[in-house]
Amino acid sequence: MTTRAFIGRPTASPREAADWSRRRILANNLRSVVGRAYPRVRGMAREPSWLFFEILLPFLTTSSFVFVYRALQAPQEYVGFVVLGGAMTAFWLNVVWMMAAQLYWEKDQGNLELYFAAPMDVMSVLFGMAIGGLVMSATRAAVVLVVASLVYGVQFSVDQWGLLVTVFVLALAAMYGLGMVLASLFLMWGREAWHLTHVLAEPVYFVSGLNFPVAALGRLGALALATIPLATGLDAMRQLAFAGHLGPAPFLPPLAEAGILVAMTGIFLVLARFMLRALERRARQEGRLTVRWR
Amino acid sequence: MTASLTPLDGEAGFRFDPERTVGRGPADRLRSFRTAVVLGWKMEANWTDPVLFFIYSVAKPVSAALILVVMLDVIAGASGHDYRGYVVVGSALWSFVMSGIAGLAWSVLDDRERYRMLKYVYVSPSDLVTVLLGRGTARIAVGAMGAAITLVVGVVVMGVSFDLLAVDWPVLLAVMVLGLAAIVAVGLILAAICLQTRQESWSYPEAVAGALFLVSGAVFPLSVLPSAVQAIGLANPMTWWLAGVRLALFPGGTSSIGGPGSLFTNLTGAAAPDSPTILVALLVTGAVVTLGAAVVFRWSERRAKDRGLIDQTTGS
Repeated sequence: MTTRAFIGRPTASPREAADWSRRRILANNLRSVVGRAYPRVRGMAREPSWLFFEILLPFLTTSSFVFVYRALQAPQEYVGFVVLGGAMTAFWLNVVWMMAAQLYWEKDQGNLELYFAAPMDVMSVLFGMAIGGLVMSATRAAVVLVVASLVYGVQFSVDQWGLLVTVFVLALAAMYGLGMVLASLFLMWGREAWHLTHVLAEPVYFVSGLNFPVAALGRLGALALATIPLATGLDAMRQLAFAGHLGPAPFLPPLAEAGILVAMTGIFLVLARFMLRALERRARQEGRLTVRWR
Repeated sequence: MTASLTPLDGEAGFRFDPERTVGRGPADRLRSFRTAVVLGWKMEANWTDPVLFFIYSVAKPVSAALILVVMLDVIAGASGHDYRGYVVVGSALWSFVMSGIAGLAWSVLDDRERYRMLKYVYVSPSDLVTVLLGRGTARIAVGAMGAAITLVVGVVVMGVSFDLLAVDWPVLLAVMVLGLAAIVAVGLILAAICLQTRQESWSYPEAVAGALFLVSGAVFPLSVLPSAVQAIGLANPMTWWLAGVRLALFPGGTSSIGGPGSLFTNLTGAAAPDSPTILVALLVTGAVVTLGAAVVFRWSERRAKDRGLIDQTTGS
């Protein structure tokens, strides 16, 4: 008797059907990445109200901080600090709301058990979420950066474009890596996850020096540089985008901060994989994968 | 046998009481409101122990104030001390706006997308607006806690000058009542929008509050803005509410509305609005927003019912 299962060709047994080649596993996981990214990207086109709420209104929030500096008659470079910070918050909010808290949402909606039952690595779901979310947040960040720069006359002074782009990419990789770690952590939690997403906004903005040089915070700023990718990425990008120091001298040069971001990316990705497996096992044991509305 | 609505007699039967479909009016509304407040508070607070909940409640507004204080220190240093009080009060009060706006909108999203109870609440005898207002009130209580602690931290830790005896309590009470009503009205508009949109609308209240932040004089005087934007600010009840609270708590402090170059001073010739002007302006702008909110919500509710949006879940 032959069994037709999974791979679309007759096999001698279910075991043989489930024995996939590496290429097939990779292709399947890539399809999972695309599959999870798809609703996010398509969803943007289906409901254009996000353009107003996710782009125009956050631009106005960034503008508020620009006007605080204007009221203080601060040097124009500080306006640039705010604009850069406003652009990067798009990615941070995406990491917190659409990565970290997502598995918790999926659990509440009943999708989580389907993810675990499907023949794929859950990491590919997280990658898919990251890629889908990146499209939306990159649009928002680009609009904030371009429009605010034009409206408020921000002048960038970049000497090392290559390093700036590298730091930006590394900052995104580290932030989304952290999002994956948090997503696996949130797998165990109920409403704590939802509330933690709130605490990860303003307090993190403060210690990351969102609108000011992080060195102004002293040791707290140094600690943030070592642990929060938003702080590290922002500080490095500001040094590279606005040549010449303003305010307190930075703790580290951009190259060293790029090194920290590389280390963060590696650590977060490995940690996410480890935690996802460990917490999945624990969640299975404790029967939490299907528990909703806690 | 045909079904009948006539009363049934006998021990095993029941009497149909047509008055039960009418309800008891205000008494029922009050009971719905009270139940919604208690439910909202439990949802907000019982996920952790009280200490952690307290830290969570104050972390956001205190951090928001600290961001502004550090910005001020980096630029102005010690000379920016007067302005420090201005930004601390503004960002503390903004905690009310954030929680007031988000409370109602998130109640819709919570009940529709997460707990999937909105359809049951909707078909229950409780009025949906009353339930949403109750849930929003619970969140405003959390916001009030954050605002109070931020003010205390501002006075005790950040050195903001404050004289308890100089506070104009009647004005403070009046502007708080009128201001909170206006905030809840804006929240109702957001709830109406969230009835029409999808799960990702979680961030909408924050985005709207962020936009209002620009035109409310919360952390910088309106005079910094272009005249056209100042005009929008003057039509916004939050602007008058903040100015009223500032005037009541810190008499003689920097005005967020008047001052050299401000539209208000250019139009009226006055350096800054006094208490009666603020109260009248808050009353008028608040009434307009409240009426608008009632109209928008009823329209949204009807549309949601027509299109089957009340029990829709939109996870993406």
